[in-house]
Amino acid sequence: MTPPPAESVAAMIRPGPPPRDSKINRDILSVMEGASLPYWLLLAIVGGFVALAGGIWLYQVYKGLGIAGYVHPVFWGTYIVTFVFWVGIAHAGTLISAILYLFRAKWRAAINRSAEAMTVFAVLTAAQFLGIHVGRIWKSYFILPYPNQRGLWVNFKSPLLWDTFAISTYATISAVFLFIGLIPDIAIARDRAKGWRKVLYTILALGWQGTALEWKSHSRTVLHLSGLATPLVLSVHSVVSWDFAMSIVPGWHATIFGPYFVAGAIFSGFAMVLTMMIPVRRIFGLEEHITDYHLENMARFLLLTSIIVGYAYCAEYFIAWYSGVEAEQTSFWLRAFGPYWISTWVMILCNAVFPQLLWFRKLRTNVPFLFVLSVLINVGMWFERYVIIISGLSREYDPSAWGIYTPSWAELGIVAGSFAFFSMFFLIFLKLFPIVAIAEVKEIAIHEKEHPGGEWEHAHTYGEIH
Amino acid sequence: MPTLLGVFDHPLSAARVTERLRGRGYTDLEVYSPVPSHELDYAVYPKPSRVRIFTLIGGLVGVVTGYAMTIWMANDWRIMLGGKPFSSIPPYTIIAFELTILFGGLLTALGLFVVARLPRFKRDRAYSKRFSAEDFGVAVRCRDRDVAEVDALMRAHDALEVEVVPG
Repeated sequence: MTPPPAESVAAMIRPGPPPRDSKINRDILSVMEGASLPYWLLLAIVGGFVALAGGIWLYQVYKGLGIAGYVHPVFWGTYIVTFVFWVGIAHAGTLISAILYLFRAKWRAAINRSAEAMTVFAVLTAAQFLGIHVGRIWKSYFILPYPNQRGLWVNFKSPLLWDTFAISTYATISAVFLFIGLIPDIAIARDRAKGWRKVLYTILALGWQGTALEWKSHSRTVLHLSGLATPLVLSVHSVVSWDFAMSIVPGWHATIFGPYFVAGAIFSGFAMVLTMMIPVRRIFGLEEHITDYHLENMARFLLLTSIIVGYAYCAEYFIAWYSGVEAEQTSFWLRAFGPYWISTWVMILCNAVFPQLLWFRKLRTNVPFLFVLSVLINVGMWFERYVIIISGLSREYDPSAWGIYTPSWAELGIVAGSFAFFSMFFLIFLKLFPIVAIAEVKEIAIHEKEHPGGEWEHAHTYGEIH
Repeated sequence: MPTLLGVFDHPLSAARVTERLRGRGYTDLEVYSPVPSHELDYAVYPKPSRVRIFTLIGGLVGVVTGYAMTIWMANDWRIMLGGKPFSSIPPYTIIAFELTILFGGLLTALGLFVVARLPRFKRDRAYSKRFSAEDFGVAVRCRDRDVAEVDALMRAHDALEVEVVPG
């Protein structure tokens, strides 16, 4: 018997309904569409601040570090404070995308993209401060081990060099992680885009089609990157903390610094994700994908890390007293009741006391409250680094060498500019790439069709149950 | 040889069809999926992904580079620092650790491109934007006389539609 030709079989097949698009695609891609006037205004404002800070920095390059507020013995000032602050902010992204991935915490799908993007931008912002802090920017490459005519190499026993390696590894790996996660979502955008966006996404999607081989390799890559990024994220802020803990300055020389800094970093990172995503969710109507359930989970993380940070504050004071070292005791006494008492109490209230309100479910699910609290935590975490660095250096062993440092206008201008720098990247990212990991949210939704009663349903009926 | 494309709204149906087709000797097939699906991956490629080898090599190269670089550089121009040995393993472990992760991560990303054959400059004819929405596709190249069998098999597994890919 002769088989019918292929075309005749096709003709026998009843044409189905036109292919559906996915609601998840539409909802999340709609964030990227068209930029409103307020968006451009906001972008212009933050761009203006970045330009202003850039101007101040150029002025500093011209005049020298004298325009900063450095006073003997404090030569690590607001720039280092802000560097540590931004490295800390960078920790939530990798925690959410790597550690929660390994723990199979599926709720992360709603927030991991935005957190990963914030990680990359925060590391970029932090890295600026290393160059700004060293003053002679044209010599900052001396920190890299490169062959030179002097025949000298860098000092690998110095924590500052460990920091160079930790930060550059972190910046590279988090950027790779962000891009690998973006590929399938860029392909979704490519299939629906027109004009210059089509060209951009076609190039960046690398011809992704979602074949079994592609997905299999992709899942395996994400798994391995998570496995590598998990120790990395814990190491990066530990290494930053060793910049301080490896010295013998009273208030710095503490073995608790590693875990203390890492917990604080995750704490501030989650706060920053909330600060940025609560307005985004409201403005772009993403409440269906980033639900109150996700916000509450982040609030729980804030509570947990706040308790760890609060514990570290107590442990520091206890050890200072228990050590019997007079310089240590004086340093901690002066923290709370000395010239920097305001910063210390801002730090204690914002980081250890106010977040305790999150024990109440009513407040955990109150979005305006969470927003205000997350901003306060950001303020508190900046002051935490200020207290550690400035109060530590200004009150070392010899009272005759004590000094009082106050940030200068130039330093404060550049710090303000760093927030604008971070926000500028975030605003641009918002319009160029999907701010929620579409494929991952969809995966949960499709999985739910087969096994009802899981994560998706939980996230979407959360308000009704409680 | 024509290519038949079956469209499914369920990853499990697509996975079962794929397994059946492979079982009957149709090995020239491709699956399109909007989301990662363990069942589909397994149906098409039962073996573990080769990306793991890249991670391993990257990590090993990283750890060796880290120790070798620090120890060689510290001994190339010896400067006594803090009375410590020139080849101090504990501080160099931090550099070795960071480079393990850096090289491991970069090679893992390279592994994705090599194993998944990305970037790909032309998309398949069977691919369409419905597979980046919520549909799953199974494309099979078969002889003319097998078209009816493949078609029947796909429809028996709840294919939304089956079409011949023009080409």
